[in-house]
Amino acid sequence: MGPLLACVLAPLLLAVACVAVPGLRAARWFALAGSLLTLGVGGFALADFAMRPGADFRLLESHAWSEAFGASFRFGVDGIGAAMLALSGLITAIATISAWSQERHPRAYHALVLVLLAAMNGVFTSLDLLLFYVSWEMVLLPMLPLVGVFGGDQRRYAAMKFFVYTLAGSVLMLAMLLGLWNATPAAGRTVVVPHVVVTAHADAATSTLHGLPIDLSHDGPKLVLVPRGFDLRHLALQAPHFETTNLLGVSLAAFGFLAVLLACLVKIPAVPLHTWLPHAHVQAPTAVSVLLAGVLLKLGVYGLYRVGVPLFPQQAFAWAPTLGVVGLVGILWGAWAALGQRDLKRLVAYSSVSHMGFCLLGLASGTVAGATGGMVQAVTHGLSSGLLFLLVGVVYDRAHHREVAGFGGLAKPMPVFAWILLLGALAGAGLPALAGFPGEFLVLAGAFTGRGAFPWLGGLATLSVVLSAAYLLWTVKRVAYGPLQHAEHATYRDLDGRERWALLPLVALLLAFGLWPAPIVDALRPACELLVQTLQGGRP
Amino acid sequence: MTVGTVSVLVWLLPLFAALVCTRLRSPGLAHGIAAVVMAIATALAATMAIAVVGGGTVTGPHATWLELGTFTLGVGTYIDAMAAVMALIVCALATGVLVFNAWYMHDDPQAARFPWQFCLFAAAMLGVVLSDNLFLSFCCWELVGLGSYLLIGFWFDKPAAAVDPTYQANKGAGARGVLEAQLSPAHAQLKAFVMNRVGDAGFLIGIGALLVAAVTLGRSGDVLGWQNLQEMAHYVANPTAMTIEQKGIWVTVSLCLTIAALGIFCGAIGKSAQFPLHTWLPDAMQGPTTASSIIHAATMVAAGVFLVARCYPLFPPEALAVVGWTGGITCLLAATIACVQWDLKAVLAYSTVSQLGLMFVGLGAGPAAGGKDAAIAHLFTHAFSKCLLFLCAGAVIHACAGHQDLARLGGLRKRMPVVAYVSLAALLALLGMPLFSGFVSKDAVLAAALGNAQSAGGLAWGPFVLACAGSLLTAAYMLRWWLRIFTGEERDHDLTHYAHDPSTGAKVVLLLLVPMTLSLPWTIGAWLPLPHGESHLPAMVTALVLLAVGGGFALWVFLLAPRGGRDVAAGLARSAAPLHAACGNLWGIDKAWDLLFTRGIGRVLAQVVAFFDLGGERRLEQLENAQERRASASVDGVVDGIAAGCAHLGAGSASLHAGRLGVYLAVAFAVVTVALLWGGLW
Repeated sequence: MGPLLACVLAPLLLAVACVAVPGLRAARWFALAGSLLTLGVGGFALADFAMRPGADFRLLESHAWSEAFGASFRFGVDGIGAAMLALSGLITAIATISAWSQERHPRAYHALVLVLLAAMNGVFTSLDLLLFYVSWEMVLLPMLPLVGVFGGDQRRYAAMKFFVYTLAGSVLMLAMLLGLWNATPAAGRTVVVPHVVVTAHADAATSTLHGLPIDLSHDGPKLVLVPRGFDLRHLALQAPHFETTNLLGVSLAAFGFLAVLLACLVKIPAVPLHTWLPHAHVQAPTAVSVLLAGVLLKLGVYGLYRVGVPLFPQQAFAWAPTLGVVGLVGILWGAWAALGQRDLKRLVAYSSVSHMGFCLLGLASGTVAGATGGMVQAVTHGLSSGLLFLLVGVVYDRAHHREVAGFGGLAKPMPVFAWILLLGALAGAGLPALAGFPGEFLVLAGAFTGRGAFPWLGGLATLSVVLSAAYLLWTVKRVAYGPLQHAEHATYRDLDGRERWALLPLVALLLAFGLWPAPIVDALRPACELLVQTLQGGRP
Repeated sequence: MTVGTVSVLVWLLPLFAALVCTRLRSPGLAHGIAAVVMAIATALAATMAIAVVGGGTVTGPHATWLELGTFTLGVGTYIDAMAAVMALIVCALATGVLVFNAWYMHDDPQAARFPWQFCLFAAAMLGVVLSDNLFLSFCCWELVGLGSYLLIGFWFDKPAAAVDPTYQANKGAGARGVLEAQLSPAHAQLKAFVMNRVGDAGFLIGIGALLVAAVTLGRSGDVLGWQNLQEMAHYVANPTAMTIEQKGIWVTVSLCLTIAALGIFCGAIGKSAQFPLHTWLPDAMQGPTTASSIIHAATMVAAGVFLVARCYPLFPPEALAVVGWTGGITCLLAATIACVQWDLKAVLAYSTVSQLGLMFVGLGAGPAAGGKDAAIAHLFTHAFSKCLLFLCAGAVIHACAGHQDLARLGGLRKRMPVVAYVSLAALLALLGMPLFSGFVSKDAVLAAALGNAQSAGGLAWGPFVLACAGSLLTAAYMLRWWLRIFTGEERDHDLTHYAHDPSTGAKVVLLLLVPMTLSLPWTIGAWLPLPHGESHLPAMVTALVLLAVGGGFALWVFLLAPRGGRDVAAGLARSAAPLHAACGNLWGIDKAWDLLFTRGIGRVLAQVVAFFDLGGERRLEQLENAQERRASASVDGVVDGIAAGCAHLGAGSASLHAGRLGVYLAVAFAVVTVALLWGGLW
């Protein structure tokens, strides 16, 4: 068993252990162990990519699942997957620490978090489309009770909405899956491999490409026989063929891309498919909000990077301007909606909508800077939004409400809290030297240097630097500054040890990635470059 | 050590001091360490300045921050005379202000927070000054904004002026244009940051335009470095014989560079508080006076001038015209407002806005008229005089227990002689009195503007005329400021009776800065570019006439007439009541911004968007129970509507197979009939 399979299996086993082992204390240690294992593997892989940049897949492993379907437990990560895996481990660890003294059903709670972790890891490490799809849907299972049982007053509504909305979004993917499988003849298909893929992935020592024999000795077109199955890399090799295959009256590629796109846009979430998010965030407990904003939203971006663009590059190219507009609308609509919120959690939720719009705009721009920036933004947004949700949880624990208007002057009794809140707000507002900046700047740079209308989209997206500063710093002002609003707030204690431990890694990473983003950018860039080449290769 | 290494040290030492000072709880120790480190940085900056002031430039170390396919973003230093002298000024003033502040805040329990925030600002400012590319400049540009944000909000727990009993008891009679409900450190810092960001959005577009130009020209590497920007500007300015395709590229690049110039100037409008984004600067006076002295008077607000000067080759004549006109309008507008302010810091704040406008008038005059040198010279002389004026204002405010109303101060010359005469020296420098530093630089700016007007004619006269009008008013209102505070009778004995000069350390700082207001060979005067060209003499005569008329008028109104028992000032205010009211209301710009930004875009539009997104608050409270759930014409309401539609459809089709025989028969009959008809017609 390799490390990536361990990242999926171990949390599942630990989840069983949570339920099986009596005693209330053990569960949280199991949850922490599972997340730290993921963080360790993800961090190691990320460091490896940072030191030896490359667009190849590493930590590869494959275990038989169903020979008849050509489905296997295939795992492997490139820079993007490694970053996401590390993020998933880190955010889960922090969420576990923040829910350390969970009082309601702690064993069930931590078990559910572990199942969620396993599912997320499955999405981020899987190289098999069937496994990807199963993991993608499995994410919803623990989320339903995590919001619907452990949530706030209107938890059932929020949980059902989240569940049905995202399930409905991804249901077409199943049809796509079958269509893709059907599109390859049982004997396999011989395809010409694009030059960039040969350069990035072919192994000259063993004369193989993604495990398939390939003759590299001649100068002519490189041919490879692709078997029928769900290996994502093999499917990507057949991309041109999907354009000409018919499914339900349209081309398989058109249908498939739409299916992936819909699933991802709901997950990201892109305006106007985003309204499940504020409900889910407001009702979810703090730690689940942290997971939701920190990792789950990234599934949408990751899906486009891993499945949408590589399998259907021509479609992605044709859709790119539309996606850019959707991203821009999300950026501005989310920011403006955040400005009009009264509930702290809903405000941070809308800031997520705005920030995730940058990921979409960056990818759509079809430039290396934009695609890399979109991915960097996905990672750093996980850190900054996680931080902000934790801080909202801190004030909620003390005041038992989240109305912005009910606070004021908290910087006096809670100075450390106020400083970290300011840091989180500034990171969210994209201040240089904090982690929110590199991603945002790269996406803007990518949009400006993109083709067609993208410079205009970039120009309009700069408005967000005004809006994000306005809604975040205005919130800081209303919560932390000014005279103390209520006399009883004077007795609030500042952050305690557990809260500090949960926040510390996020603060440290926000500063580290802000000051020195080169390692993470170096790790992400080769994979993003390949992605952009694939996308540009889709130009008709 | 090479000059490059020194420049990195000068940049990083304040950052180091900031880091150390965050851990210190003792105000004295923190101020001491910060001042010592800044003094070392000053010495290093001096060696740097001596090395390059003759006209050389040094490219310091450069590191790649990010590598992105075709281009890279870098971090590095670049030192020419302008940067070196500016760095020296920043370090020297920062050292002085730290020493002064140790006295100024000696009874403030939060004083230990000042040094690290101040040093953080200094490091960011030095970054702007010494940066070797536009990207790093932008980063540091944002970080000086952070320094400003932190220091404006130094007393973040102060209530808004509208509900602050101390403010209400002490406010001046003429403070009408001020929005008291929003006048607090917490609001002022927010306002400053967000309004700066408005300019920065333009700045980002400018950077984007430069990237487009670089990509169009197929350039790679550090495309935002000064070297590359200069080459691109050179390419645009010197079109050669080109094919049609090359011509297309040239047009694109030249358009991009114009957009870039205007975008960068947009950033400068925000940071340097130019019309129409100037309203944050007077509010920034909510911060400690010592912080204002360097951030909101001497250096940070001048960063816009510095950056435009740095990117000067990018500016085509059309963009320079925009720069000149904006500067001219700001110069006069702020001067008119300053004439009727009663808050002693507000006068200085509007005076700063006005002087920054004057610098932009200089920049707008263009390279042929020597505009850049003139503007930078005025930046340098203004930095010293305005910093001194602010420190003196701080001393007065401290001596009078926090009161800053010009109507109640008076006769302080006898109680605080050092402050009185130091501020007089700074004042005369600001007004451009011969032998003082401002004389040289103001003359240079006016000469440049006049030279440009003479050569270009027409609309180019605008900035010159506006600058002259502004200078005339400057002489009047600044003398009013000084005469009101330091001469005449004590208007409020209780207030000024215990006033005294500051402590020795603070006095030494003031006295050490005095020579820098003079135009002497061994002071700053030696490093100023001398005005040249034919317009020099008429400009100098104009400046002197304006000074004499404006100053003489102020002397008559505020010194000679009161001695004769006449209140000319009140009479003037009565006879020009509408004008006086308009100036007092700040020309309505603050209120217009408040209506448009804070209320319009910030509140109403945001709530409309929020309403169209999720529906009203009432809907949000009743979601859990399906029966109580309200329909809503919002995005979320539509989603729920679709869900409800599906539920109805399900309920409807469910009723078809509820076990009622009649329904089954009816359905069977209908299906068979339709099938038969269909088959028959087929």
